[in-house]
Amino acid sequence: PAVTKENNCLNAAKACNLNDTCKKYRSAYISPCTSRVSTAEVCNRRKCHKALRQFFDKVPPKHSYSMLFCSCPTAHQSACTERRRQTIVPVCSYEDREKPNCLSLQESCKTNYICRSRLADFFSNCQVEPRSLSGCLKENYGDCLLAYSGLIGTAMTPNYLRLSHLSVSPWCDCSNSGNSKEECDKFLEFFTDNLCLRSAIQAFGNGTDVGVWQPAPPV
Amino acid sequence: KPRRNQSHGCVLKQVHLNVTDLGLGYWTKEELIFRYCSGPCIDSETNYDKILNNLTHNKKLDQDKPARTCCRPIAFDDDLSFLDDNLVYHTLKKHSARKCGCV
Repeated sequence: PAVTKENNCLNAAKACNLNDTCKKYRSAYISPCTSRVSTAEVCNRRKCHKALRQFFDKVPPKHSYSMLFCSCPTAHQSACTERRRQTIVPVCSYEDREKPNCLSLQESCKTNYICRSRLADFFSNCQVEPRSLSGCLKENYGDCLLAYSGLIGTAMTPNYLRLSHLSVSPWCDCSNSGNSKEECDKFLEFFTDNLCLRSAIQAFGNGTDVGVWQPAPPV
Repeated sequence: KPRRNQSHGCVLKQVHLNVTDLGLGYWTKEELIFRYCSGPCIDSETNYDKILNNLTHNKKLDQDKPARTCCRPIAFDDDLSFLDDNLVYHTLKKHSARKCGCV
């Protein structure tokens, strides 16, 4: 029998269900994200995405971030990391039958007003600066986490990758990139290997840098 | 629509529970606030209830025992979702009271 460790992601879910607002908006996205609509489709993705955006819009970061950015200190604490991965109900909101090329996913994101502006926010607020102590060019973890969570519920919805510590990615890869392989890799690495975003998530999980958790609303 | 009467005897109460305490067969470590209606409804009894009282007492209804005014939810709380130990989500509807009344 393994030694029982605190599961921060479970604790965040408990705290959410004890708070009326968080509980309400949590079940308001879990319902559409887990309701099968036909034999062919596991859910109505459009409704699931909309309810997810509403969850992150309406629920105070204290609760929503605690679930999305909960820390799972032990690398093999799968009960914790799997729960964190399940936060956005990936089977509906994230995974798809095929993995598109990231650049074509970016193109389809650009055709949607919400997705386009939120992706731009993410690239601007989570920009890496290795020489800065924070790892971020803008030195504001709160804005980076806000921009990242803003992508959830768009075509660019990111999630944690399995078997990888704090590495995130949208549902796409860089196969079939042709001449644009380098550009595609750069785009994908902004998610999977982003020092600023990783530090921001870690700082939130550790409860350090608590001063910035009242980020300004997105422009 | 059921007849509702306000009564200060019948009130909304709450208790903090584990989802497993509900006995609905779910395996999870998640928790909830369960709200329920409790208290007497004597103040809001109607002639109908008084007649039923008298008729049962005088054995005019054979073996029948129709229910009297009762403290029940007249509105339910928002749905509750949780993730079980096998990483499956569940959503409970109409599981917890929001507003009580003597009906």
